[in-house]
Amino acid sequence: MAKVVVDPVTRIEGHLGITMETKEVKTSTGTWTLVDKAYSHTNLFRGFEIILKGRDPRDAYFLTQRICGVCHAVHGAASMQALDHAYGVTPPPAAVLVRNILHACFYCYDHMIHTYLLVGPELGVVAKYPPMVPPALGKAGIAKLGLGSSYAKCVEMQRIANEATALWGGRAPFPVAEYPGGVTVKPTLDRIAGTIGRMNQVWYFAVHTMYNDLMALVERNEHIGNAISTLLDVEFRGLQDLGPSYPYQLSYGLFPDPENYDDWVKAQDGEKSRRKSAVIHAGAWDGDFKPFELGKIKEYVKYSKYSNECTGLHPKDGKTIPDKNKPGAYAWAKAPRYDDKPYEVGPFARMVNTFGLRWKFEVTNPVTGESFTFDWKALNPNSSVIDRVAARVAQTILFSTKAMEWAIELKQYINEKTINEKTANFDYVPNTAEGFGLWDAPRGALLHYTKIKGGKIDNYQCVVPSTWNLGPRDDFDQPGPVEKALENTWLPQLDVPTIANTLYPDADIDASAFGLGMVKWGDALAVALKPLGLAPLNMENGYNTSLALAIVRSFDPCIACAVHEIDITIK
Amino acid sequence: MKLSRRNFMKTVAAMGATAFLMNYKMDVVEALTETKDYWHVCWLNGADCQGCSISFVQAVNPDLIEILTNILVGNSGLPLVLPDYMEVAHPASGSLAEKLKEERWMKAPFKILICEGAVQEEGYCSVGGRDYTEVIKEAAEVADAIIAIGQCATFGGIPSGNPNPTRAMGVQEYLNKVGINKTVINLPLCPMNPDHLVLTLAALIIGVKPELDQYGRPKVFFGKNMHMELCPYRPYYDRGIFKTRPDGEGCRFKMGCKGPGVWTDCALRKFNNHLSFCNETNICYGCSEPEWPDKFSPFYKEVTALPNVLGWDATAIGQSLLGATAAGIVVHGIKRAATKGKKEEKEE
Repeated sequence: MAKVVVDPVTRIEGHLGITMETKEVKTSTGTWTLVDKAYSHTNLFRGFEIILKGRDPRDAYFLTQRICGVCHAVHGAASMQALDHAYGVTPPPAAVLVRNILHACFYCYDHMIHTYLLVGPELGVVAKYPPMVPPALGKAGIAKLGLGSSYAKCVEMQRIANEATALWGGRAPFPVAEYPGGVTVKPTLDRIAGTIGRMNQVWYFAVHTMYNDLMALVERNEHIGNAISTLLDVEFRGLQDLGPSYPYQLSYGLFPDPENYDDWVKAQDGEKSRRKSAVIHAGAWDGDFKPFELGKIKEYVKYSKYSNECTGLHPKDGKTIPDKNKPGAYAWAKAPRYDDKPYEVGPFARMVNTFGLRWKFEVTNPVTGESFTFDWKALNPNSSVIDRVAARVAQTILFSTKAMEWAIELKQYINEKTINEKTANFDYVPNTAEGFGLWDAPRGALLHYTKIKGGKIDNYQCVVPSTWNLGPRDDFDQPGPVEKALENTWLPQLDVPTIANTLYPDADIDASAFGLGMVKWGDALAVALKPLGLAPLNMENGYNTSLALAIVRSFDPCIACAVHEIDITIK
Repeated sequence: MKLSRRNFMKTVAAMGATAFLMNYKMDVVEALTETKDYWHVCWLNGADCQGCSISFVQAVNPDLIEILTNILVGNSGLPLVLPDYMEVAHPASGSLAEKLKEERWMKAPFKILICEGAVQEEGYCSVGGRDYTEVIKEAAEVADAIIAIGQCATFGGIPSGNPNPTRAMGVQEYLNKVGINKTVINLPLCPMNPDHLVLTLAALIIGVKPELDQYGRPKVFFGKNMHMELCPYRPYYDRGIFKTRPDGEGCRFKMGCKGPGVWTDCALRKFNNHLSFCNETNICYGCSEPEWPDKFSPFYKEVTALPNVLGWDATAIGQSLLGATAAGIVVHGIKRAATKGKKEEKEE
């Protein structure tokens, strides 16, 4: 057994290291190294809850967004809904529409940037698909080899989506326009038109570039499966066998119906709910649709650096007594479980809880009238790298359509109330109250809990997506979803260009523009990598960790989130 | 006129450094083509949220792709910024990432260090198996220029908020503490404005040192009072029209806007392709200033008696502007009181 460590894992949010213990597998073609067990360690602690304590409850909306600068707005949403819930108010329909638009635009930015800038490069390499590889050779590379064409386009498109967010939120990152019971921004025709114009461009990119890139990956997937199966003499179908976790998938839902907000609130009240009136439904999928129930969340600490008396508690009653030297503990994150099972959260969970295992929906661009049908049958019911990517593409298409539809709908509400009368006075803060906010971040289910006493924050808790996905083993020794997903991943003892040449042995890339003739895929990559000192990319201790990294990144980890909550009690 | 290192200072002298960097962004970029020295960049992340990295990705004219690939510096063949090390975007992970930092950046003749995130006490943040305090110290020791971006790296930011559980501080404070006698260029805001970084980098590479205020902020970006000089909602204030409900309209002062105590060009430069800034949809909550958030929290609290309530001493700040602001508030208060004939306005 060897130990392979990657630290820092780049192209994720935050400071993450992973440690993998290997095992050897002998087949007719040789001896191969696979991941036996994986452990993720999170490397930053800031102490948000401690800092929040004693402040004006509304400050949490601004401050918690800084838990993560990549997925900032969603912390604002969960925080604001916890405040709505604590204040006992619902936002009027116009305010719900404004919030929905702001967050739909935000979501498009987030899914695009993840697909291309963070997880995309490894997929582009393994699928021999230059548009998803970073534009390492600049404009010449984009023009002559198509190297990074989608990547470069994505940079422009995510910026445009963020502009739409900024129209409603003031700026992005860190929009500022939500308020308990409503919003502080005025719906104006200017904002509406600006949103539609921008999201129309995003829609076009999602439908005509992102979707095509996804299809290009699918098209090459069988070849990837065959090539690796033949090489290793194991059964490997392709990217759907990379990084599966569990059939358990948890979602809190997204985008409430402006005219049926009461249905949305039920889940926050602790009732069994699927939030079916929302665009994305809540649920605890276990192979079939199951309603979500707030009371079924518990956090375990057998392998976390906290005293054992903190284990098995609902976050509301959560205790956090650090025990740095606890024997056997290897993580700062706790292990959240739903119904005592490890649930994956994120884009795949949102899709299965809304559509089941086949995601078929039709959208029509309200500006151009162009229709598009998205149709995807989950390639692995336990989720996988390719299924997670597909889910992000699906949601970018769906949410960019919705953003435009809501903007058009908002025109009818332009003179309607955008604030609940109860909270219209800035001086009003409830004296004693508590509330839950349940929203889905791009990375998955996100819970904020606020407890107000004497008009100030008495207790603030967050249970965030990356704790669900990247948390450690629990009291029943069940690995967390990412730890599970890494098991049995191949760690080739070959560098990236060599593997690329093995998977794609034909010399069919015209690199004459760079002083070479027809070259193989791996040799073309080497041309791009070498001048930057990147030839030994992803090699650790002789092992190529590209596939493992693609798995970790497919979860879109956010480490700032995962460890924001380590609540080292200072007395 | 094409800018070069030679006429750069002439133009600056003629226009004043502030107006220069404000107005000549594209010319600065062009001047890079005549530069001889290539500056290598290392981008470190400490106690941060990477919001500044994401903000950097929002840059326009030039945008990220141009910055990373197209705007070549002199005849180096290398673009304006191609970080040898950057956790959020770099292709390399793990040991290769660390190796590139050591072999490409540390050995480069001209080194810029960009720091995102606060520096905490040992034990709360590690990168590549080493404590961040050590990582940043080692890099700062060899850097030829250090830029701190965002509120956390400049002044400690939210991690340093009361009770500062991890004893977080800004980069300059940390370097002073460990005896590294170097001036950090502070580009606060939460998140930093991508324009500020692109312009500062370009200025450094061309060979121009931006003039800094007492908090290490380039005066060109942080020399003007938001409320007094730049806010588009100021006319409302002068006419005594205030937003007092979330759905109202008017100057944001009574909602708790911190504009009067804030020195930044947000209102002018704006964010997201120069489209919008916080006041367009809510309030300014003061993220350009030292000791944020504590001095500005609660955010929804009117700053009527700003210098006292927030514990500020106008002389300590050393900027006559604050005095001017306070005086301005009084003057305007009286003016409004006179116009509206309401006595209670006087206390402002």
